[in-house]
Amino acid sequence: MTPPPIEFLLYGGALALVALGLAGLVMARHLFRSILALGILEAGANLLLVLAGYRAGGVAPILTPGTLGQPMVDPVPQALVLTAIVIGVGVQALALALALRVHQAYGTLDVAEVRGRMEADTDAAAGLEPETSRDLPAVERPS
Amino acid sequence: MNAVVLAVALPLLGAFLTPSLARLSLPLGRLFGPGLLAFCLWLLWGIARALGDATAGVALGGFAPPLGIAFHLDRLALLFALAVPAMVLALWPWGGRPREWSLTLVLAAAATGLALSGDLFNLYVFYELLAVASYGLIAANQRPAAQAAALRYLLLSAAGSALALLGIALVYTQTGTLNLAQLALLAPVSLDGPLGLAAFALLLLGIGVKAEAFPVNTWVPEVYATAPSRLAGLLAGLVSKLAVLVIVRLLLVVFQRPEATQLMLVLGVLGIAWGELAAWRARDLSRQLAWSSVGQLGIVFVAFSLPGETGVLAGLAVALHHLLVKPALFLLARHWNGALEGLRGAARRAPLAGALFALFALSLVGVPPLPGFWAKFVTLSGLFAQPGPLCSLAAVVILTATLVEAAYLFRTLTLLFGPGGEEPRMAPHGALDLGTATAFAGLLLAGVIWLQPLTGDLHGIARQAVDMDTYVDTDLPTPRP
Amino acid sequence: MRNLTTLLFAAGLGFLLLVLAAGLPYGHPPMLVGQGILQQAPATTGAANIVTSVVLAYRGLDTLGELSILFAAAAGAGLVLGGHRRRRRPDPDGGFILIAGADLMFPLLLVVGLYVILHGHLTPGGGFQGGVILAAAFFLPLLGRPREALDHTAISWIEGLAGAAFIAIGLWALFARGDFLAPMLGKGVLGQLFSAGTLPLLYAAVGLKVGAELSGLLADLAATEARDP
Repeated sequence: MTPPPIEFLLYGGALALVALGLAGLVMARHLFRSILALGILEAGANLLLVLAGYRAGGVAPILTPGTLGQPMVDPVPQALVLTAIVIGVGVQALALALALRVHQAYGTLDVAEVRGRMEADTDAAAGLEPETSRDLPAVERPS
Repeated sequence: MNAVVLAVALPLLGAFLTPSLARLSLPLGRLFGPGLLAFCLWLLWGIARALGDATAGVALGGFAPPLGIAFHLDRLALLFALAVPAMVLALWPWGGRPREWSLTLVLAAAATGLALSGDLFNLYVFYELLAVASYGLIAANQRPAAQAAALRYLLLSAAGSALALLGIALVYTQTGTLNLAQLALLAPVSLDGPLGLAAFALLLLGIGVKAEAFPVNTWVPEVYATAPSRLAGLLAGLVSKLAVLVIVRLLLVVFQRPEATQLMLVLGVLGIAWGELAAWRARDLSRQLAWSSVGQLGIVFVAFSLPGETGVLAGLAVALHHLLVKPALFLLARHWNGALEGLRGAARRAPLAGALFALFALSLVGVPPLPGFWAKFVTLSGLFAQPGPLCSLAAVVILTATLVEAAYLFRTLTLLFGPGGEEPRMAPHGALDLGTATAFAGLLLAGVIWLQPLTGDLHGIARQAVDMDTYVDTDLPTPRP
Repeated sequence: MRNLTTLLFAAGLGFLLLVLAAGLPYGHPPMLVGQGILQQAPATTGAANIVTSVVLAYRGLDTLGELSILFAAAAGAGLVLGGHRRRRRPDPDGGFILIAGADLMFPLLLVVGLYVILHGHLTPGGGFQGGVILAAAFFLPLLGRPREALDHTAISWIEGLAGAAFIAIGLWALFARGDFLAPMLGKGVLGQLFSAGTLPLLYAAVGLKVGAELSGLLADLAATEARDP
């Protein structure tokens, strides 16, 4: 059986979003971009979940006089995706709130700078001298 | 038996109402949450007593599984469900604000749900709930470093959750069900290929964030060094164990295959090596304890990767021991939260705290006759009994890690009890923290005395947890082909 | 160099997943659970929208968890932003068009939001979608007149009581029927507004709670200065 091309388009699109989101999360040097990448990653996962319930020729699972007796798509993934989307919204809102406060405190959302400032703050709170390796660029430092 | 859902619903009810109640009357808002948790503890205890050695499935809303969500009650689930309100009560943030009490209640509800649920997506929802509550709690103390740590943790954890969701989507596409018992029936056929392994790897990576698994544990020192000590204790002690419990359930019930256990073993070994070496290098107590937690969780992973009853027994022993020891250590470390060098002689000025710290540290290293020795012994004997170079390597790594652990903890103890330290800049321990730590120490010592019956109980729990026929029969009274 | 490695890694991962996904049964899902629910749901819950049956009845606990997640996110954001809520220099009022538009849209959005919430068991939509529309209704005037703040005490009461109402309906079912969140009340005639028992009530609670959480979140974010001057 040769799979119809539409299958590859849909699955490929969802997985491309996942790959794009992951790449964005790892590569982003700006925390706001990381939050956006997170949104893309979640969109890809949600799309894949909704695809799980697709049934060729099925109608939306709502009983109206027009749909009685017709094959319906799986209602469960649709409910799951609703849940997953709302979860994503909550997490993103919280991430934005945190990013706002971090920007207020440090004046930057650069990944390396925020990390350096955070570790310096933690060290200072613990009464530690800054490590000598702290002079290296933050990205090269072994963690 | 259906009342078990109250253990999840009531803390949530409390969380919704606490901020408004606290506006009306602060003392009422303050006592509402702990009161509800105490009730949940009593309720779960009653259910555990009534259930005894049996298992039970609870169909929520009266919808027979696999259509609806099911809770699976067995001794393993109830053990952790009981640990949740108990630990949250012991580490309750009495000094916090109403919203912190709310979030702590949400954390308790989510953790209980994680212990009880027998539905893949329901587990995901509770896992996310736990995560969101913990982000808020970490960032609550308004320190910029804590908020930066919370944001970095959030990004990592949310990415993990998205991967876990991807894994769930793969499982659902392949099988068309989310009920763990039904998945157990279908898995040998439907999830046998590389697809099943990919789904497990995605779920492991996603849930592993909270379980401090190897590649996704970079948040651990940042968060534990900036979060309040009670919260750090809760996250390191309780939350990580529940994430491990979920992974173990998935491993035992759905993904019963050698590749999956090997993946656990490898991640565990890497976690041990990474965590203990970083702990050895740490220069302050909070981060030392945080990294040591990563190492301990690595041992838990290795222990659970052992096949059958031995694995569950060893994993439970290490996990429960760590559940008790690490929160107490964080409570004690709260007032010694400076550079290690600055702690010279600190224990001489606070003898009780010093003695407790020494007790917990010795048990963590595994000095007989403390329970930590027994937990490590069970794990190591299980590993040596297994054929294959990987298990022997894991055993060697655990032994070496124990030496490293002993080296840095004894170094810390020497500093604490050593001479010197003229300026007493540290405030004395609060009575509440000391009292909680003493209670934990009491439990630890009780573990020494009642080791025999305790081992018997854990054997029973492990035997029941690996009995898949009972699991399926309990949740799916009439399994479909 | 690092970017290139990451890109290659992501592309490799995507390709691996694509190869895996090629084996998935597209268009012919196993529908083990789905088929059962499709057959059984209308008779069990009385809702014409089967997705609503799944969201509120079969997987009601997920929805409770989801509501709690929104609540936890809003509470967390409140904790994070708390104490810095007062803006030193509030944004100037929006222009005539924004203010007049917001005033015009407000009642319209309110009606649409409530309609979507109340018809959640009949048509696509429901508490979450309607709740978001409600939140937008309350947020629009805030864009027009940034000086006027939302009443946080009222929001806190609405979110608390709406969430409590959801759980209370569940507890009512637990004590009356022995199952948490089991469908209660008469099923009514399929497709009528007053049908499906407690499902519309649950969705009303969801809608109010989502609306209150999101309004509170948006107001908190809007009232926070991007950077202290």
